[in-house]
Amino acid sequence: MSDPNQTAQETTLERLAPGATGRVVRVQGDDVVAKRLTDLGLWPGTEVVVVRRAPFGDPTQYALRGFRLALRRDEAARVVVATPSAPAAAA
Amino acid sequence: MTASAPQPQSPAAPARVLVALAGRQNAGKTSLLMHLTGSAQRPVNFAGSSVERCESSVRVGATELRAVDLPGIASLSAVSRDEEVALGYLRGEAGEVPDVLCAVVDAAKLSVELHLLDALVTLGRPIVVALNKNDVAEREGRPVDAARLSELLGMPVVETNALACRGIDALRQALVAAAGAPPAPALTDTPDALAQAALRPVPPSPRGLTDRLDAVLLHRVWGLPILALLVLGIFQAIFTGADPFMGLIEDGQGWLTGLVEDALEPGALRSFLVDGLIGGVGSIVIFLPQIVLLMTLVSLLEASGYMARAAFLLDRVLSRVGLNGRSFVPLVSSFACAVPGILSTRIIDNERDRIATIVVAPLMSCSARLPVYVVLIGAFFPVAWAGVVLFGIYLLGILTAALVAWALKLTVLRGGHSLLMMELPVYQRPSLKVVRAQVWGAARDFMVLAGTIIFGTAIVIWLLSYYPRPAEIHDRYEAQRTTLVAPQADDEAATAAHDQALAELDAAERAAYLEQSWLARGGKAIQPVFAPAGFDWRITVGILAAFPARELIVPTMGILYSLGDVDPGDYDVDSLEASAAGEGDGLRDKLRGAVHPDGTRVFSPLVALALMVFFALCSQCAATLGAIRRETRSWKWPTFTFVYMTAFAWLMAVLVYQVGSAAGLG
Repeated sequence: MSDPNQTAQETTLERLAPGATGRVVRVQGDDVVAKRLTDLGLWPGTEVVVVRRAPFGDPTQYALRGFRLALRRDEAARVVVATPSAPAAAA
Repeated sequence: MTASAPQPQSPAAPARVLVALAGRQNAGKTSLLMHLTGSAQRPVNFAGSSVERCESSVRVGATELRAVDLPGIASLSAVSRDEEVALGYLRGEAGEVPDVLCAVVDAAKLSVELHLLDALVTLGRPIVVALNKNDVAEREGRPVDAARLSELLGMPVVETNALACRGIDALRQALVAAAGAPPAPALTDTPDALAQAALRPVPPSPRGLTDRLDAVLLHRVWGLPILALLVLGIFQAIFTGADPFMGLIEDGQGWLTGLVEDALEPGALRSFLVDGLIGGVGSIVIFLPQIVLLMTLVSLLEASGYMARAAFLLDRVLSRVGLNGRSFVPLVSSFACAVPGILSTRIIDNERDRIATIVVAPLMSCSARLPVYVVLIGAFFPVAWAGVVLFGIYLLGILTAALVAWALKLTVLRGGHSLLMMELPVYQRPSLKVVRAQVWGAARDFMVLAGTIIFGTAIVIWLLSYYPRPAEIHDRYEAQRTTLVAPQADDEAATAAHDQALAELDAAERAAYLEQSWLARGGKAIQPVFAPAGFDWRITVGILAAFPARELIVPTMGILYSLGDVDPGDYDVDSLEASAAGEGDGLRDKLRGAVHPDGTRVFSPLVALALMVFFALCSQCAATLGAIRRETRSWKWPTFTFVYMTAFAWLMAVLVYQVGSAAGLG
């Protein structure tokens, strides 16, 4: 989906605003949380769309691999994603 | 596959095949099992844990196919207790090794499912893939080609649809045929690549039903009001919908009581049958309509996919106080009865949050407390205040629960991960078979647990309240009866007066017996403890007598205030209006008129309020403690719950009475 010529910017999943898309680069840590995130489908290369935040701002609904996942802010913060940067910045 | 042709059976079809259903949560295992074996499942606890597995069996030709449904797993490394148990079973640690694994796979998210399958092949068993929910995948524009997937994986793949009963027989045959087959081969490529290759491309469909529903149900503004309306609807159904059935049960109880009273002379046996047996069983069965109704609504919402949304909407609020979005269902259920509420905490996969939910669930004001509130509010508060006081008492329970959960998070239950990471499943039409099985299971659990415990304590309380029976009391009241002048047969007014005098003597005699019973002696002995809350010995005895089930304080106080039989079932919310309309009510009048030996009134609105606060917060319910014991597998948490609730209830009751008295409200 993203143009391979564009440089990607790395950030963490919880920083993306609803409507934004990111591609998983890695999941930080090697504890239960990281393991579970990977088991849920967040392994490198996975495209994740931020759908909406809950009424109190947390958790957030994501769409990936054809299903819907709710993650808390501190859970999503473990997921490093690449977002396509603005074309001007790429030039 | 032709259904008419006889299925090829190998000459030596095995006599028994044990199949374990393995898959992620929401993959549809439970529903599939129910259709696979066609019979109601029998839940079995895994040894040494509260985790349940369901199993049932079916004959396929000459073979008995036994299928075991395991808790959902996401990988072969366990995060929750449920997963640990499921994995232990798959590895054969439960003493039996499954012949075949049935990997239940949700077609709509094939790549993640293949990630798990990749791990399952390392168990070295033959695997049959049940490809479930392909209709959902089709609607989302990504249906899976079952034949192609089977080719790619090198394992049998059977397309199933539990709701439409499709592919069930083919799956049975495939499972039997796989017994004794070589272990499933390792995946030949990455899950992503395999999933991509197995997809049958179709034109992308318009935005699905689930996304359109979520846009409304999870809306930042509308999501919570819709949830609030749903909860209100559930309450309305529990408290009004169950009413006619509860009336029927009461009528039945009254009819049985009448039968026994007609057949037997007054005495220990009759009292045991009426007060101990019929009363004890009745106090359990009376809650069954509410529980059946509640569990039906909850499991419909659960099966439709909405409960995960409720957890999503409320997770923030609940996690702030140390609970979890998933705590919502158990807490709402506990407003009807804490027993099904505590049993339903199994959906919380985080042990810490689960314990916190179990420990605070009894603080939700259950329907057994309602008659107590209604009697006292009707007797001591003006009707304009009735609703406010009732609401305040419910609110007190909720706020206390938040406070306790928060305190637990900072102390006893500190540390550990609190995870949400929850899938929001596709909305679907609930399988009535599954709902029926869940409701039946909840009703059975309640009857077995509450039945044995409430019944046992009811018998003990009856014994303590019936004995001893000194002849001196009997003689005294017999003497008084003989002094009553028998009226002329044709004098109606005199006959009525005579009957009433006899009834008053009977009631006074019952009160005299109860007053010197073991139970009352105990109540008098511990009364000093409750004196700072303004409770006299009769209230204290009522509190003791309420231990089998809270509403029993009402009939006990009825006897102690010399009123004869009082039925707590008469005190529903509507009776508040009747009392406001000035209709006579025996128990309320007696409570208002009750005096201490020195002539001062026992009850004031302040004492009534202190008693309601005590009942809102105390843990006067043997069945709830039994449920906690069962679900936590230790005596630690029921003991903790009893101690903290009783201590806190006492403290709050004393606070209300002392502060109120000091402010001159007594």
